[in-house]
Amino acid sequence: MKLSQIGIRRLLRISSALVIVGLVLEIVSLLWFHPLSFVLFAFIAATFIGLGILVYLVSLVFAVSPNAENRQ
Amino acid sequence: MIGMLICQIVLSIVLASIFLIRPSLTSAAGWKILAFIGLGVLPALCLVGGMNMHVQRSEQTRFCVSCHVMIPYGQSLYVDDPNHIPAQHFQNHRVPADTACHSCHADYTIYGPLNDKLQGLKRIYMQYVSTPPDPASIPIPGGFKNAQCLHCHLGARSFEENPVHAAVMDSLKSNQLSCLSSGCHDTAHDIANLSHEKFWKPVQ
Repeated sequence: MKLSQIGIRRLLRISSALVIVGLVLEIVSLLWFHPLSFVLFAFIAATFIGLGILVYLVSLVFAVSPNAENRQ
Repeated sequence: MIGMLICQIVLSIVLASIFLIRPSLTSAAGWKILAFIGLGVLPALCLVGGMNMHVQRSEQTRFCVSCHVMIPYGQSLYVDDPNHIPAQHFQNHRVPADTACHSCHADYTIYGPLNDKLQGLKRIYMQYVSTPPDPASIPIPGGFKNAQCLHCHLGARSFEENPVHAAVMDSLKSNQLSCLSSGCHDTAHDIANLSHEKFWKPVQ
């Protein structure tokens, strides 16, 4: 197994974990009827989800890079 | 609506859980597409849906009065006095009762909802980090603008044919003369004297 594949899988795990935590917090914020629920959503849940998506996009870059090297 | 959003979030969690447990699945083309949907598209849609839901929810009267300092303002909507402008609007459904606060205090401009949200965040900061204000002396940033009344009243026959309104219409439109000026509609909420008021009890 190539080192990059291990890296991609680790990134996918991190991305999934971040997205899951963010989405669970979003559910909590939607069920909690309080002015602080927006703070929970906008500053914590959205940060986790955003970071999860970002890490997933980074993993895509990793996944594409070895093919580009192979072409050369 | 909230049920659909929660279903979408649960679906995203299920998909993300698959890739948390078995990230090796993404080596197959079909799973790659599913990973793109589960870790990219669906979470992004959940974010947009969540923001939309939170903005809609913050327009509700019961959301506004769920803040401790706003409780007297909620009570003032039930004052049994025809001179109390907010109470009259709320009790006679001149504004939607479930979005009464938002109807008169919304910033009806292109970036209004964003400004309203920022103002709300400042209030939360004051409540939980700095000193909470006295409910009777909470200022409206920039003062109460006539545009918030004119948004509904401008163009209404009873408003425009009223000789007092007609005489000062230009001043009202340019915000030089406030609708809440002394001698006009000057009783709004009046939190300081709330303990002396009679209250209307809606029939359930």
